[in-house]
Amino acid sequence: MTAAVTASGPRTGRRRHRPAPAWLLGLIGLAGLVAVVELVPRAGLVDERYLPPCSAMLAALAEQAGTAEFWTALLETLRGWAIGLAIALVAGVVLGIVIGSAPLLRAATASTIEFLRPIPSVALIPLAVLLFGTDMRSTLLLVVYASFWQVLVQVLYGVRDVDPVADQTARMYRFRPLTRVRKVIWPTALPYVMTGFRLGASVALILEITGELIIGSPGLGRQIAVAQSSGAVAPMYALVIVVGLIGVAVNVVARTAERRVLRWHPSVRTEVA
Amino acid sequence: MKKIRAILAAASLILLTACGGGGDSSTGSGGAQGAGGTTKVKVNVIPIIDVAPIYLGKEQGFFAEQGLEVELVTAQGGAAIVPAVVSGQVEFGFSNLTSLIIARSQQVPVKVVVAGAGSTGEQGKDFGGIVVKAGSPIKSAKDLEGKRVAVNTLNNINDTTVRASVRAAGGDPKKINFVELPFPDMLPALDKGTIDAAQVVEPFLATAVKNGDRVIASNYVDTAPKLTVAAYFTSEQLAQSNPDLVQRFAAAMKKSQQYAEENPDAVRKILPTYTKIDASLTESLTLPSFPTEIDPNSVETLTRLAVDDGLITTAPDGKELLP
Repeated sequence: MTAAVTASGPRTGRRRHRPAPAWLLGLIGLAGLVAVVELVPRAGLVDERYLPPCSAMLAALAEQAGTAEFWTALLETLRGWAIGLAIALVAGVVLGIVIGSAPLLRAATASTIEFLRPIPSVALIPLAVLLFGTDMRSTLLLVVYASFWQVLVQVLYGVRDVDPVADQTARMYRFRPLTRVRKVIWPTALPYVMTGFRLGASVALILEITGELIIGSPGLGRQIAVAQSSGAVAPMYALVIVVGLIGVAVNVVARTAERRVLRWHPSVRTEVA
Repeated sequence: MKKIRAILAAASLILLTACGGGGDSSTGSGGAQGAGGTTKVKVNVIPIIDVAPIYLGKEQGFFAEQGLEVELVTAQGGAAIVPAVVSGQVEFGFSNLTSLIIARSQQVPVKVVVAGAGSTGEQGKDFGGIVVKAGSPIKSAKDLEGKRVAVNTLNNINDTTVRASVRAAGGDPKKINFVELPFPDMLPALDKGTIDAAQVVEPFLATAVKNGDRVIASNYVDTAPKLTVAAYFTSEQLAQSNPDLVQRFAAAMKKSQQYAEENPDAVRKILPTYTKIDASLTESLTLPSFPTEIDPNSVETLTRLAVDDGLITTAPDGKELLP
């Protein structure tokens, strides 16, 4: 009897055992972080005045969430991010396809692109301020500049990856250039475009916040800077938490979009091949 | 962050000098004529206590009286404000005087319009000062010799005025080790012992006092009896092309300064509208003075200090800089 119970116990346990879903593990990790940030200041390991416990940050966040200023700033940040990313995406895809499909052009621009690409956006701040002052266009310039290269380089790789047989077949059948782009280049380049989109989305957010923080253009970054210069530590961390959450959301959205857009992709490629 | 800003400031100054007078943007310069005969002007300010009068003046309608519709655009510091003003993106900007003296000596065409914030002139009761830990052996500015002293920007108003404090106390300012740190990071660094003293301004001064830190000197007071610390400025181009606009702005600003000086409670009340200073702290803040006129003595002293301390090689012509 007892033997049967002990024998069946683990077996049913094993049968029921499934790996915990990713979101659950993620939540556990997050809870761990919250606990650490709560306990470290409370235990006196870090001065509470400079790193308030998580509960104080969340209280400050709740207080901020009640102000119109906070929501305006959040919208301004999201708007800057979205506009910047959209411009970078369109420009990167169009230029990438044009440059990528003309070998001469590609050879002529390769060194220029390699020169411009590593220039940190932040180094352009004085130029941006000269051109646009301290409003959102300055930050937009940084966002577009940073995320454009991410997209462009991916698209260039994508265009290079086009199957030469498929391309020549299309040429032989006298596809018009636009049809060729749509039927041959685009399906091959799309996974690369989506990678560029995902990378660009994160980079755009980073530069949006950086621009707001350093230039003082409107948005959450500026709110963080104001909190800093006001010595308001808990509200500052509250805003940092919000920025972190936006980062997570941006990543989730980008990945979902990537999965959605590419779902049909392999079937198309098998047809082409 | 301050380091980045300093680099940016240097870079932007180089850019500006390279561009010379080429930056004549049409959008901002002169202000756009709005409906009902009011002129729209943009002013770049820093979200600190010093600019409370302009917020008050806007609220009280002093600018509307002059036919001005001011838009206050906050920026993070002079590094962003100077290029924005000189290129005509905004009509006016707020900056400390030393930054403007440095800019002018490098041929950046800035022109002071009206006083911004000044020292209270009272030793130990100013809006900025040098603080040390309660138990520190440093008793006076002279004891700063050989010590690490934090200032928010190297080669600017705060280190030159700290040097003035040390000189006034009979010490040798060359022996100070200055460390560049943003204001918000100074008190934690002081607590940790990575710096021996810090030059802070409000609201960090009140926070330091609340933490039990000791104020050993008021560096602005040691520099000049009634030091004008900061001012509103414009580009030389706008000052020449539209002197009437500049004059109206100056008139409204003077009225605002006077109002702020006479109504410190109104100043404390307006702070939460553009800063995030803790409400429990606003009562204990030492407000700066809000002078209506720029003390010519201050400009002279700060220029001399800038030359003596090697910030600039040649003193700018005061007539070019001042209104």
